[in-house]
Amino acid sequence: MAATGDEAAAMESISKAPVPPTDLTLTLTAEPEHKTDATENQKAKRPSNNNDGGVETAEEATEPAEPDINALCRDMFDKMSVFLQGELTATCEDYKLLENMNKLTSLKYMEMKDISINISRNLQDLNQKYASLQPYLDQINQIEEQVTALEQAAYKLDTYSKKLEAKFKKLEKR
Amino acid sequence: MASSETQPRFGQSVKSLLSDKVTSCSGDVIALTRQVLKGSRSQELLSQAARNMVIQEDAILHSEDSLRKMSIITTHLQYHVEHSKNLQDQLKHLMK
Repeated sequence: MAATGDEAAAMESISKAPVPPTDLTLTLTAEPEHKTDATENQKAKRPSNNNDGGVETAEEATEPAEPDINALCRDMFDKMSVFLQGELTATCEDYKLLENMNKLTSLKYMEMKDISINISRNLQDLNQKYASLQPYLDQINQIEEQVTALEQAAYKLDTYSKKLEAKFKKLEKR
Repeated sequence: MASSETQPRFGQSVKSLLSDKVTSCSGDVIALTRQVLKGSRSQELLSQAARNMVIQEDAILHSEDSLRKMSIITTHLQYHVEHSKNLQDQLKHLMK
């Protein structure tokens, strides 16, 4: 009877023995930053051995969720979104550059259009004024032709008069 | 495919598996984004368009310069015609 009592005490001492080191606790002790987590793990659920009708059952040792895991996840997704926006911003900037270049070119072409409209208007006025001056220009051309003909006639008259003078002198000598 | 990789292996905790999965997913998203941008060829086409526009800029400036010179020459011609008209008026007065 005393032996069974001793055996029962031994079994109880075994059941109350500390949890053997698992992988979970080993990894946590390797990272000194998570010392508090390690201590918390020790306080976490330990595999409890229940005896139900002589069958031992155990529960999986789980680690409690980190209190700032939500903040870390939010930070991760925020940084992902910033990165993706940066990737897409490059193409947007290219489009903006082309848009600005097109706008400046269109402004330049509008200025050139105004200049060309002014030139066409001025040329039309010039053509009208030239058309009004055309009869006078024709008269000037006629006058020039007549003056040229007059000059030719004057030259012919001059040569004829010189011939006549030479003949007269010849006849006078006889 | 990934199911065999997600099965817990000896010495690998759920936490490390989860972090590996998150890392691989984020890497996949980044690679997908880059592939989409590369496949659209938007960078090449837009840079080519900008390069062509820069080449055309010289011709546009030359055209503008020519148009300004034409406007100046037209103005000078108008002055000449005005002077001719004044001379015409003087001639009419003299012919009288």
